[in-house]
Amino acid sequence: MLSYYLELALRSLRRNPALTALMVMAIGFGVAASMITWSVFRAVSGDPIPDKSARLFTPQIDGWGPQQNLKGEPADALNYTDAMVLMRAHEAKRQTLLYPVQLSVMPGGDRDLPLAANGYAVGGDFFAMFEVPFEYGTGWSAQDDHARAAVVVISDQLNQKLFGGANGVGRTINLGGHDYRVVGVTRHWNPKPRFFDLFSTQGFEDVSDFYMPFTRALDLEMRTDGSNSCRGKLTFTTWDDWLQSNCVWITPWVELDSAADVARYRHFLENYAADQQRAGRFDWAPNLRLRDVVQWLDHERVVPPESRISFMVALGFFVICLVNTIGLLLAKFLRRAGEIGVRRALGASRRQIYTQYLIEAATVGLAGGVLGLLLTAAGVPGVGLLFPPQIARLAQLDLSLVALTFAVAIFATVAAAFYPAWRAAKVQPAWQLKSN
Amino acid sequence: MLKMSHLSKVYRTEVVETYALRDFNIDVKEGEFVAVTGPSGSGKTTFLTIAGLLETFSGGEYHLDGIEVSNLNDNARSRIRNEKIGFIFQAFNLIPDLNVYDNIEVPLRYRGMKAAERKQRIMDALERVGLSSRARHYPAELSGGQQQRVAIARALAGSPRLLLADEPTGNLDTQMARGVLELLEEIHRDGATIVMVTHDPELAARAQRNVHIIDGQVVDLAEEPRFHAHAAAPQSLA
Amino acid sequence: MQIRPILAALRRHKAGTVLIALQIALTLAIVCNALFIIHERLANMSEASGVDEANVFVIKNQWAGDRSTQQIDAQVRSDVLALRQLPGVRDAAPASGYPLKGGGWDNFVTMTPDQVKPTTDSSVYGSDEHLLDALGLRLIAGRNFRPDEVVVMGTQQVVIPPVVIVSKALADRLFPDGSALGKSFYAMSATPTTIIGIVDELHRPGVNQWNRPYAGQSLIWPLRPDDARGIYYIVRAKPGRLAAAMREAPKALYAQDRMRIIDPKDGLLSFARVRSRVYDRDRGMAILMGIVSMVLLAITAAGIVGLTSFWVGQRRKQIGVRRALGATRGDILNYFLTENLLIGLGGVFVGTVLAIGINLWMVARFEMARLSLAYVVAGVVALLLLGQGAVLAPALRASRVSPVEATRSA
Repeated sequence: MLSYYLELALRSLRRNPALTALMVMAIGFGVAASMITWSVFRAVSGDPIPDKSARLFTPQIDGWGPQQNLKGEPADALNYTDAMVLMRAHEAKRQTLLYPVQLSVMPGGDRDLPLAANGYAVGGDFFAMFEVPFEYGTGWSAQDDHARAAVVVISDQLNQKLFGGANGVGRTINLGGHDYRVVGVTRHWNPKPRFFDLFSTQGFEDVSDFYMPFTRALDLEMRTDGSNSCRGKLTFTTWDDWLQSNCVWITPWVELDSAADVARYRHFLENYAADQQRAGRFDWAPNLRLRDVVQWLDHERVVPPESRISFMVALGFFVICLVNTIGLLLAKFLRRAGEIGVRRALGASRRQIYTQYLIEAATVGLAGGVLGLLLTAAGVPGVGLLFPPQIARLAQLDLSLVALTFAVAIFATVAAAFYPAWRAAKVQPAWQLKSN
Repeated sequence: MLKMSHLSKVYRTEVVETYALRDFNIDVKEGEFVAVTGPSGSGKTTFLTIAGLLETFSGGEYHLDGIEVSNLNDNARSRIRNEKIGFIFQAFNLIPDLNVYDNIEVPLRYRGMKAAERKQRIMDALERVGLSSRARHYPAELSGGQQQRVAIARALAGSPRLLLADEPTGNLDTQMARGVLELLEEIHRDGATIVMVTHDPELAARAQRNVHIIDGQVVDLAEEPRFHAHAAAPQSLA
Repeated sequence: MQIRPILAALRRHKAGTVLIALQIALTLAIVCNALFIIHERLANMSEASGVDEANVFVIKNQWAGDRSTQQIDAQVRSDVLALRQLPGVRDAAPASGYPLKGGGWDNFVTMTPDQVKPTTDSSVYGSDEHLLDALGLRLIAGRNFRPDEVVVMGTQQVVIPPVVIVSKALADRLFPDGSALGKSFYAMSATPTTIIGIVDELHRPGVNQWNRPYAGQSLIWPLRPDDARGIYYIVRAKPGRLAAAMREAPKALYAQDRMRIIDPKDGLLSFARVRSRVYDRDRGMAILMGIVSMVLLAITAAGIVGLTSFWVGQRRKQIGVRRALGATRGDILNYFLTENLLIGLGGVFVGTVLAIGINLWMVARFEMARLSLAYVVAGVVALLLLGQGAVLAPALRASRVSPVEATRSA
């Protein structure tokens, strides 16, 4: 029976090639637009660390007060004073402070020009907290943090540049005029969005070249290469003045395994802020946030509005294409009312008519899916024209997108056909015999 | 009223020329009730479509109400159809999307008549065919006989000089057919010129004069009229 | 002309009517907003920078190794001297940033030293007396810096110079009566800074949402930014010699000192690239919305053609009857055009409500501007015309239906 329906469908579609082409194109364009923008949207809106995102939190403490904070919200990073308190208190299972730094890799070997290297000053817990994968070696220990050791973890990319991909662990590199011992080489690791540094980045950056101890970076008085946001009157001229200022530039992260841990940590933050109020450093009530990764991504509006708007516009576009398809299917099916009447008179049941037309619609959906896939394949590389390169690069045509394209095309077309097919199945067997 | 002289209608395809009408002559006087009969394929319907200006013809002359129509453009032909001719079809040809009132209004609309006059004429026509109570019904809600009465009302509403009927009772049972025929006779008595195409001899017998068509030509049966027109001057029908 | 019977007939074809109207409504809603987004984005992209964009390029220079502020200052002075001596170069200046860089330094501004709530915000450029000429800014009041007013600013040091040049936008914001020249204000400092010059236009480095309320508000301080992390060199080529100057400049710098990094990817940017880079989101959005609108209009038109063709096919007989009853070709054409116009009017009515609804939602969600009513009106007219255009072919076909159709059996 199915093959009979398919045959009928093909014959029917061949009979009105223009109408068929129109429907296939509507579905194809609609699906392609949705899939292309979806490929971007899913890339920017994904959870970058799904198995841990609910256990990683970034504390925020309002050090600016209601007059100067961000419409009631505390700043998106910490000043040095508050950051150091969190680090010393060590109230979480794992914790790290971090800020971006930029250094030059000094010439050596056959390079006679320095290389720019972008990285982060982080705590030793960073690697375990964020599940950084290692090619060679490991991160550094808590002792190294304490000892303010001159150690560094480099990316596979930098390892390739400096050591031709050979195991760089144990070698020494000169960054910004100081020597560091390589203790680890990461595998390719660049979570998108870069949830751990949304204060200084938009979330979609090139891979980092290195990670060095936070304590060592402070010793060398390395300024942040990222954002630095201050309030009130600025007076600092020295490194120490700056550290004591209200400028925020450090992002803290803590790992908390259970709700109880979260509650305890929140309590700790409240106590600290209350102490500061009592001591007169803050003349406002504690104003704290403890957001997990997903909340943080949301708060920082990491999904570019362009991506969201274009995805929604594409969905609207698809809906219109479907409305269009419903209309065309209705026209196509009802035009054959006479044929339906005869079929019904010859004993076809309503269900059989219904099935026949749904299968015809599914065939259109399949063809629309094929066209949609071709357009998507052509469109995904063209995303570079529409989105900034660092975001466009994320859009990829993979197997799941292919499957989704087909599924959406067929499912949507069949859904669109429900009403027209129902109308067709309502045609009375005798209808055609009655004259107009 | 309706005069065709040496009229011909040729259907051409790539290979053959088919004469549907050949040297066709007919003269229908004002106030006559003429039945046109003939076997299937004889050209009755072609005659009627040409008479009703639904189609053009290939040669000869056709005077309708004194006007030579062969050189008229499409718009002028439309106007004549609208103002001078009323059609009654075998299949009624009511517009299914419109209710009875709106159906009757169609030709009046095309004439650009004022709303009040349209309403008056529609109500009069409906009363005439005895369907005043069905103005808001849709064709599908009426019986065949009622539908044909609506069609007749639509034909009458515009006060045409000439009524063309194509097998007006062909789709009706005997009872309903009788009613429709009586209505036509009544309209004729009121002074209308009626040309009716039919293959039903009994129906044809009710007309004043019979014209028989075979192979696209009129065959003179030279019958005496059964009864005489009693109105000397034409008068409005509705 | 015959609206009531058309409406009556449409009531008998609810599904088709509703589908066309719905399609027109949705298309209107999306196209209005898409056009409005295009307009907004194009407006962003065409914002004036104040820069002589055809001739200016920017070098991002990073220092390699550990250097003192004094060493850096000496290097910067000799770098800009070397750049200014290049044959293709008109002028060059060291700078902490540049317009349309895509984010940079800005300070809150207050009128008194102890005011807590800032009056406004200004982006800050630290440079020397050559910046005005190197960017090609137009000084409309006051004077440029004197060389002796330029002071050194080391890494992350706060130095508040006593003199400042401001953009006209900032001057007007702070002193709406036009009396800015010679007046002072405070930019996150206890000491005032006095306006000695006003330039016509000077765009901020950032173009994102946060900068919107402070559009065009910038100031220049006579600070040589000797930051250990790096510096920007703003170079203005002589007319027509941009390409040559862009080739010469990095060579000249490396000849001065090799311990620097000019990134091969984005270390050297013509201002045309700067502009296109900072607005790539806007451009992409405008292109995407343009494509979507066009395809959408095409699909909607095709849908109207398809459904109307079906209706014409379905109504051949009744068109024949109408013709038999005296309808002219023009009457039949008018019938379908009027029918489409009525459906279109229904569609655009719903569509207008939807368009405004979507816009209000986007205003709330994405901080977009209110949809200008002109767009709705333009969209309404466009869609009604589109509908009439789309229906023309099937309507013409309908008008050619012969009245003989009336006599044929169904």
